[in-house]
Amino acid sequence: MRDSASNQPLPFASIYIESLEKGAIADSMGAFALTGICKGTYSFRVSHLDCETKYFSLEIKDNGKYDFRLAHSHHSLGQVVVTEEKKHLVTTQTVTAINAQQLEQTSGTSLGEALKQVAGMSSIQTGTTISKPVIHGLHSNRILILNNGIRQEGQQWGSEHAPEVDPFIADNISIIKGASSVRYGADAIGGVILVEPRHLRSKPGYGLELNFGGFSNGLQGVFSGMVEGNPIKLAPFSWRVQGTMKRAGNLRAPDYYLKNTGYSELDFSTALGWRKERYGMELFYSQFNTRIGILSASHIGNLTDLQQAFESPVPLETSGFSYTIGRPYQQVQHHLLKANAYWRVGNAGRINAVFGLQHNIRQEYDKHKPLNDSLAALNLPELLYKITTYTTDLVWEHTAWGPVKGQIGISGTTQANVFDGRFFIPNFRNFGGGIFMIERFVKLKYELEAGLRYDYKYLQVFKKEKGVVYQFDNRFQNISANVGAIIKPRTTWDIHVNIAKAWRAPAVNELYSNGLHHGAASIEIGDSSLTTEKAYNAAISFNLHPLKDKLHLELAAYYTYIQDFIYAQPTLPPTLTIRGAFPTFQYVRANADFKGLDLTAEYQVWKGLHLKETATLLWAWNYSINDYLILMPSQRFGHQLQYHFDDKGFWSHGFVGMTLTNVLEQKRVPDNSDFAPPPSTYFLLDFEAGTHVKLGKQSLHLSLSIYNLLNKSYREYLDRFRYYADQPGINAAIRIKIPINLT
Amino acid sequence: MKNVLLLAFTLTVLFVLNSCSDTKDPDEPNEQELITTLKITFVDSANTSIVRTFQYRDPDGDGGNPAVQFDTIKLAPSKTYVASIVLLDESKTPADSISNEVREEGTDHQFFFTISGVNVTTSYEDVDDNGNPLGLESRWKTNTVGNGTAQIVLKHQPGVKAAAPGDQSLGDTDIELNFPLVIE
Repeated sequence: MRDSASNQPLPFASIYIESLEKGAIADSMGAFALTGICKGTYSFRVSHLDCETKYFSLEIKDNGKYDFRLAHSHHSLGQVVVTEEKKHLVTTQTVTAINAQQLEQTSGTSLGEALKQVAGMSSIQTGTTISKPVIHGLHSNRILILNNGIRQEGQQWGSEHAPEVDPFIADNISIIKGASSVRYGADAIGGVILVEPRHLRSKPGYGLELNFGGFSNGLQGVFSGMVEGNPIKLAPFSWRVQGTMKRAGNLRAPDYYLKNTGYSELDFSTALGWRKERYGMELFYSQFNTRIGILSASHIGNLTDLQQAFESPVPLETSGFSYTIGRPYQQVQHHLLKANAYWRVGNAGRINAVFGLQHNIRQEYDKHKPLNDSLAALNLPELLYKITTYTTDLVWEHTAWGPVKGQIGISGTTQANVFDGRFFIPNFRNFGGGIFMIERFVKLKYELEAGLRYDYKYLQVFKKEKGVVYQFDNRFQNISANVGAIIKPRTTWDIHVNIAKAWRAPAVNELYSNGLHHGAASIEIGDSSLTTEKAYNAAISFNLHPLKDKLHLELAAYYTYIQDFIYAQPTLPPTLTIRGAFPTFQYVRANADFKGLDLTAEYQVWKGLHLKETATLLWAWNYSINDYLILMPSQRFGHQLQYHFDDKGFWSHGFVGMTLTNVLEQKRVPDNSDFAPPPSTYFLLDFEAGTHVKLGKQSLHLSLSIYNLLNKSYREYLDRFRYYADQPGINAAIRIKIPINLT
Repeated sequence: MKNVLLLAFTLTVLFVLNSCSDTKDPDEPNEQELITTLKITFVDSANTSIVRTFQYRDPDGDGGNPAVQFDTIKLAPSKTYVASIVLLDESKTPADSISNEVREEGTDHQFFFTISGVNVTTSYEDVDDNGNPLGLESRWKTNTVGNGTAQIVLKHQPGVKAAAPGDQSLGDTDIELNFPLVIE
């Protein structure tokens, strides 16, 4: 099965003969096999999540090969209705896919912010400029981000270390909610975010895409451009170059400017591909550069200053508007090089080899320059980390053994980290290896899946004290497993059930950190005797879409029990330093559980009028203190009403809508565990409108969004800077996208 | 196009070479500038040969090992002392003096002294370039015997330092120490 326009295979497309009630699902290369069909003419229903379902009438004369071609759904392009039941990945787990047109609606924002709207997701923030995705209450080291198939490796342990990923690279983003360690490796106990670039062009010619964005708050400008080509004379070869620039100044909360919250970003990527039917290879390189201003008022001296900051209704430092990024700031550079190749080996299946190299340089600058003038003139970072990671994966997707399809793979990682400046985490080397097997038993009305994986990790830590180097060795190993089923008795509903066991080795900061965390104004102390976290996760999701697509309902429930869950617990007394007392946190382990519900419901109320409701609910409990688990997202609800206009003349895909987001006060926190009580419940109103305009042959995508329309002052519990300042006020965004195709 | 690829390739090679760094031979933690030590010296204004020195020392800086020395300030009753403060970074060899920099940037800094439990009054003996109090030099007047605490705070107040007598609520805290104070 192929895409009629690009001739690309359609992975996991489904084919169904209605009169025989018989069908099949294609593999990742769009190939399928239907057996036991008598000669005759049948009506085939072929569907794929990116395409409109098409019926083919075909006479089957003999055993043979038949080609089905589907057109990409132009109707769905630009539609803003989030169709979350569509799955790019076939797994028995709960998956949400965000496609290109949904990403278009959030373009210019960070990855963490773009994913926040999805049921089950939230984001952990460090002010307005740093945002990390949270899946079912878990984040940082407990979720994996796969950027173009490579596991993102930087200094993920820090909640103020945002993922170094340019969302403009992505053509779609899939979120696997729940432990997914078997396929993606240990650590993925919370879930996986797959950032997938668009496929390299396979249609001869050249393509160009320009994106412009302008945001009123912070006077932010964004430009992203992409050029791609597939020479007519050299069909197997395709290439793409892409780049993004962002610049923003100080953001404004309703009552004041947030001093030093500007940022700048410059990213580029390039991809080369050589594809033949039996083999292919791809080379990808991307570079991400950012400088992020950190709210001045958040860099405080000690507990006394912190107390003063809470008591002050406005931040102790405010300013006017400026693009200048002063101290404190972070400067981060991330390189990613990926090489992959595939071979189709006769009847054995397909072999995929992926090699990845990442280098991440993180520099953190304190608020104050050194007093010494000559030192200050050097403007050195107070903290510098360099981490280099090599990853290799080898996966064999075997051809179906009867109804059983699957893959077997091995993966390896080596990593080296070096720091300079203030001590927080030591130098380390990390070696990891894993082997896994996932098999799927696929029938038309149900699918079963089982997977098993073994991982080994070896962490070497080097510390120098008074000229002597000390080495500490840590070895971790464990198995991950999952079993699951998809039951789809009718086309109008299905159920996904999954049970998984996963584990995570403690991260270097949990084991060996010891020092002052400036951004957090706290002292963190690791514990080298911590053992691995073991997670047991059960999830069930129910998808219903009756009434001829008028209603889409997805209800997902999960339960996760984590044995030896590692978290930073406040300890008394505070550490006494020359600067006064600092709150002190010690990494400890506890048994914890997470119960949650994610709900998405879309209903076509009337012609063109769509209502969408989302709910993200989570209850987390710490069994060691027999109280709630600290720093968990509070319950959030989304209500969206959109009107879609009929296409007319030059205008198409027009819509206008409002979204009301309601985040409740987090009341489920242990007593006396925080410096200030969690912020109160808030409501936010957003406005959105968009259209496509056709000017001759050229189409133009335009949209206007106004965030926080009522300019409400509010604070968010998962924002570490909630102690110091409000969230940004009203922000109007204009987005223009110009896709140009030259054949 | 070719140039971009060439650039990408060159960058890649560069960072691969660059990354073969010495993980196994780490540098010692090297805070650019650290205040590890506060030394306060009291000179009896009536008899300058009577000199008392008290210290707070935490040579490895914040966190890590606790302070190795945290003296009790012991002064005689009914005396007037001139106190001078020296700040050191003892994590460096040789120890680096920070107080000179504080003096140079006096317009951005101010010491504050808060005495509780005993009757001791303090006043400033030095000023910054704008004529506002600084506090590296101060005058302490003791009265009757007793036990209490002397809080010594150094505030960094770039651009916001208030005119005399100053405003302790502004800026960030560089130093905040509560010395036990005994008048005997």
